[in-house]
Amino acid sequence: MKVKVVTKILEANERIARENRRLFDNAALYVINLMSGPGAGKTSILEKTLALNTGLRIGVIEGDIAGSADAERIEKHGAPVVQINTGGACHLDANMIYEVLQDLPLQDLDLLFIENVGNLVCPAEFKVGEDIKVMVLSIAEGHDKPLKYPLMFQESSALLLNKIDLAPYLDVDINKIKTDALSLNPKLKIFEVSCKTGEGLSAWTDWIKEKALSS
Amino acid sequence: MHELSIAQNVLDIVSEQCARSGYTRIDSVNLQIGRASGIMPDALIFAFNAIKTDSIARDALLNIEEVPVTGLCNDCSNSFIVQEEYILNCPVCNGSSFQITSGREMDIIDMEVS
Repeated sequence: MKVKVVTKILEANERIARENRRLFDNAALYVINLMSGPGAGKTSILEKTLALNTGLRIGVIEGDIAGSADAERIEKHGAPVVQINTGGACHLDANMIYEVLQDLPLQDLDLLFIENVGNLVCPAEFKVGEDIKVMVLSIAEGHDKPLKYPLMFQESSALLLNKIDLAPYLDVDINKIKTDALSLNPKLKIFEVSCKTGEGLSAWTDWIKEKALSS
Repeated sequence: MHELSIAQNVLDIVSEQCARSGYTRIDSVNLQIGRASGIMPDALIFAFNAIKTDSIARDALLNIEEVPVTGLCNDCSNSFIVQEEYILNCPVCNGSSFQITSGREMDIIDMEVS
């Protein structure tokens, strides 16, 4: 006998993401899901963002397969931080976030960063209740990345092109990255930044400040 | 890459529906998976077969219908299908303003039970 199911496979995740969304809204909290491949500089971007004195009260959830090195780096900047270890899973899902929300002072924060597991594929597929997704690509990863990993570029509201100080030493075509990324997602906001020199970071923090305060 | 967790979601959803309705055996489960969903059908079937063994779906076949990536051009109003997992331009007029109309599906459509 044939029986209709007609269910989104990720419906359970999306239901919990909506619950997270409700908790964030109740706390008037703006939430950014920060994604990239391993080593692109997500934690460095967060450290620089925290050091730039935006006036925003920022909290961080760190997602890694193992270890607490990233949370320790964030803690040094005095921001409330929780480390999630996925124990092998390639992405954060809505339930992992839900489970740790009680450990953060949501009512006392303006902005929450959820630093996803380093992976250019899977994190883009799972909603966690965020307002926006932002991705980091270091230019050393190469200009073929937008067309090889289109989903994350399509899902993100902003792209941070990190390690821009390395441009003189690389053969990477930065214009191709930007053109392909904008073809995939014409609304994508692109920032060229360097955590090494500080270049471009104030444009980024001005942008998140406007987003967080107008939400 | 996360086909195992997708397979677990499929197994949970169909098992729950069977428990609610009193079915005791699942013979097949039919999915629609978009080509831009990031899911590899072979890996999903492999994962499903690995986790189904102690469940109501232990004898179930997982059938996957792949959904192509299609778009609708805002400039020339043509609908089109692309071979890639993404759309950069309308293949008819080369315009860059378009809507993606399919390709991201990850749905359970129906199942055969007894």
